[in-house]
Amino acid sequence: MSKYLDLSLKEINKLLKDKKIKPIDLVEEAFENIEKNKDINSFITLDKENAFKVAKELENKEVDNLLFGIPIAIKDNICTKNLRTTCASKMLENFIPNYDATVVEKIKSKNMIIIGKTNMDEFAMGSTSRTSYFGAPKNPWNKKRIAGGSSGGSASCISSRIVPFALGSDTGGSIRQPASYCGIVGMKPTYGRISRYGLVAFGSSLDQIGPMTRNVYENAELLNILCGKDEKDLTSIDKEKEDFTSLINTDIKGMNIAIPKYFVTDIVEKEVLDKFNEIVEILKEKGCNIEYIDIDYIENAVTLYQIIAMGEASSNLARFDGIRYGYSYENPQNLEELYTKTRQFGFGDEVKRRIMVGSFILSGENAKIYYDKALKIRDDIRKSFLKAFKKFDLIIGPTTTTVAYDLESNLDDPSKTFLDDILVIPVNMAGLPGLNVPIGFSKDKMPIGLHIIGNAFDEKTIYKLASSIEKTLDLNLDPRGEKNE
Amino acid sequence: MDKLTREQVMHVAYLARINLEEDDIEKYRVQLKKLIDDIDKIKDIKNYDEELLISPIEHNTNLREDVVGQMLDYKEVIKNAPNSNGNFVEVPVMINE
Repeated sequence: MSKYLDLSLKEINKLLKDKKIKPIDLVEEAFENIEKNKDINSFITLDKENAFKVAKELENKEVDNLLFGIPIAIKDNICTKNLRTTCASKMLENFIPNYDATVVEKIKSKNMIIIGKTNMDEFAMGSTSRTSYFGAPKNPWNKKRIAGGSSGGSASCISSRIVPFALGSDTGGSIRQPASYCGIVGMKPTYGRISRYGLVAFGSSLDQIGPMTRNVYENAELLNILCGKDEKDLTSIDKEKEDFTSLINTDIKGMNIAIPKYFVTDIVEKEVLDKFNEIVEILKEKGCNIEYIDIDYIENAVTLYQIIAMGEASSNLARFDGIRYGYSYENPQNLEELYTKTRQFGFGDEVKRRIMVGSFILSGENAKIYYDKALKIRDDIRKSFLKAFKKFDLIIGPTTTTVAYDLESNLDDPSKTFLDDILVIPVNMAGLPGLNVPIGFSKDKMPIGLHIIGNAFDEKTIYKLASSIEKTLDLNLDPRGEKNE
Repeated sequence: MDKLTREQVMHVAYLARINLEEDDIEKYRVQLKKLIDDIDKIKDIKNYDEELLISPIEHNTNLREDVVGQMLDYKEVIKNAPNSNGNFVEVPVMINE
């Protein structure tokens, strides 16, 4: 079997255009890859029959764009019409949306082919994807380790080269952190860049959908088609259309780059920090100006995140009442029992904990003590970032403090899952764009990532730096050990 | 927080509309206490501005025109309800006591 999906996007596009291959060849290969990588558990639901049907229909259409006929995987908290969307929860085990999320409409309008829904932490709550009702996805670099989370299924399916494209969502690092653990490129765009319509809400002021891919260029190409104002999402922003690939592989000499001092303290494991420092040296050699700075309250970002995300989650998940859709407790004695037992048996432990703490945070006087104060300090963090961007083009740091750890470790500590995201959460606080690009491996061959943060709506400059690093390092990021030809 | 009592756990479970079995109460008491200790750290943060950040990005509230548009199909929506009767979603009897 030819490995067309291992080719670059442009190469696949040319083969399709020249009619040397058909979309159905790519779909066939994707499902063969899924079969070969079953043990990684990247998917919750496959859409095999429909994917083949769509591929067949595309044979009569003109290949009119770069993403035409390319298979893509969608995180399972993004609604897909007539395709089960579970949020990795028993609560939505049988939920079949009757509408497409706006991003899914956009993907379909470019004739990409959805092959299935990827595994994740239940309702995107977690940093390991272990809270999935359907079992955790595994890290393709070492199947005894976590893929990260919450978009762990999307990250592992890109890393294991099942398909070249996936969508993730990022509330407090859920795209960038698993991207780092699995050695792929993951972008959380600026809040408002992409419509959230059809994304099952977790923390509404933080959530953002984003592209997860094998390389920087393809990431930018996918972002090109995802963004734009949507009248169904009031928080989406009207911006002039731009090409996010336009600065890729341009000279980075003279770029001003800041490193928050907090990102290089002893919270980061030595091996990760050493790799990060190697990159800093490379950037200096390439003529970048590097400075170490302070961002106000950055060390408090996890606390703010816990308050804001759990508060918003408790409100957003109030809709799961066993009445209109989803799991419903059978034969309740009364309406109250229907609510409370549906939620007792429908939600997993992590989700129940967060809803309860969120209810505590928002109840009575606590709303002022916790939530209002968190929003005030959040404003200070954002202002401090924006001040830094008056002087600097980009801010960088390691994406995670460690490499992916063992699937069986850190299971008992409810706080640990938040600390895994300590370096990526500040970006969600400020609503800024952030991207993970792989920069190397640990001694035990686990990927290490660089986190690049940009000014609001300046994803282009992030891609510029990321592509330069990617090209310089020229890493083999294929866990199968084969270099992509 | 010095101590999280059993009653406080049952109160937040009530607010969250989550039924807890007897065995769960102590388990959650320990776990919620840890998370509340985490968020309590906010009480020690000083010297912040008074402005609240409601949305991380500035945007205008542009409401769309109030005209009838395409709506979800009624029958399709009802399909996902665990219990339905004709065009209605069914719930347990509420007035029975």
